[in-house]
Amino acid sequence: MLFVPRKNNTQVKYPLYQLGNPQLRIFRPTFNLTLVRPGKEQPPDTVQFRIPLEMTKFDVRNYLEKIYSVPVAAVRTRIQYCTNKKRNHLNQRVKRPDYKVAYVQLAQQQTFQFPDIFPEKDRKHEEGSVEEMQEKFMEDERQRQKPDPRRGGVTEWFGL
Amino acid sequence: MFCCSYILLSDRWRCTLPFIVSSDIVKMAAAVTSRLTAAVCRQFQRVVTVSSHTQSQYAAQASSKFHSCQRRRMYDSWWFRSALNDRALHTSCVRKGLEDFFDLPENWGEQTVKSGAPWTAKQLRVKSNEDLHKLWYVFLKEKNMLLTLEQEAKRQRLPMPSPERLKKVERSIMRLDTVVKEREDSLRLLQTGQERGRPGEWRRNVFGKTFWYRFREHPIPWYLNSRYKRRRFFEPSHVAPYTRLSLEKYLRSKIRKETRENRNQKRLAAMFPKKTALASDH
Repeated sequence: MLFVPRKNNTQVKYPLYQLGNPQLRIFRPTFNLTLVRPGKEQPPDTVQFRIPLEMTKFDVRNYLEKIYSVPVAAVRTRIQYCTNKKRNHLNQRVKRPDYKVAYVQLAQQQTFQFPDIFPEKDRKHEEGSVEEMQEKFMEDERQRQKPDPRRGGVTEWFGL
Repeated sequence: MFCCSYILLSDRWRCTLPFIVSSDIVKMAAAVTSRLTAAVCRQFQRVVTVSSHTQSQYAAQASSKFHSCQRRRMYDSWWFRSALNDRALHTSCVRKGLEDFFDLPENWGEQTVKSGAPWTAKQLRVKSNEDLHKLWYVFLKEKNMLLTLEQEAKRQRLPMPSPERLKKVERSIMRLDTVVKEREDSLRLLQTGQERGRPGEWRRNVFGKTFWYRFREHPIPWYLNSRYKRRRFFEPSHVAPYTRLSLEKYLRSKIRKETRENRNQKRLAAMFPKKTALASDH
């Protein structure tokens, strides 16, 4: 059995493969993919994922094709080593967990642009609510802090 | 497909249950982790079309619900730009790939997103195997979406909207796993009489301790496996006296615990005799 370590110290066991065995099928995959915004500029057809360390390029391709029906042309992976240098308040070294990054190129000349998931929205609070009173209070405070406009930008340091 | 199922549900909901008006409540109804009352649940089970990993099922569902897809809100498919089709990108529900990694666009930028309670094991036990299989993938895609959102929130240094959704999905997944394991265990017991899926046996290690050894798969027999032969599953003769001593220690501690309990009970009985309770009644 191929043993692969898991996060909570139990090991994922894949059955041993010998020539002539049927194709291994996982009916309820426990792998989670995280789509991330690329740190460096990527070509328009490349999508960047963070995947578990145990996943392979074939796993990523099948996962995306079967579950998300995304046509995949190529997958490249790398393992990102994260620091073990940081120390906590007891001076013990704390390891940041490693992760694998997959760069997936889409087929059929599709492109992907990571969207802006946190756009600025104008929120109108209802009348008489706590948030509205807080907003008004903050507005008043800001108004009070502003310098006298008649001074024409000159600071209070200069007398008169 | 998750978004597709929400949209379909919303159109159906509007004609069947007129008291549901706001999209938030409809989203709650359609959300993976929401569970409504029994009457509504029956609608949910019939109406929701959940993506599975088989392409044929996907295509069949998409084609049968095409008429509802056309009524959905048209917004530019923000990620899909293909040189092949430039016109009418948003009329079909089939092109749903990477959008499933993100929430519905109307929830982007919100501070909180409403979601219902997680699935309980009791609710999951009622479902058939096919339904559980589909639900597994629904949970998986929801979890992927939430993880993507969490990572992007960390990147933008903003709070993630409604982080409790992650815990709900994780619990639902664990409970589904429990239910499936229960069914597999019972089936195995009925068919073969074996209690465990993975074979094993009781063995004694070098320290004299008896433990449950679980078998591993090897391509060669044990007598050709030199590393396995170096692992000793018997206790040496000089260790034998210590097993008896440790057993005595364990029994002594058990007896001590019991006697302590009995003494405590006797002390309490002496402090609060039963006669006073009866005497107060008269």
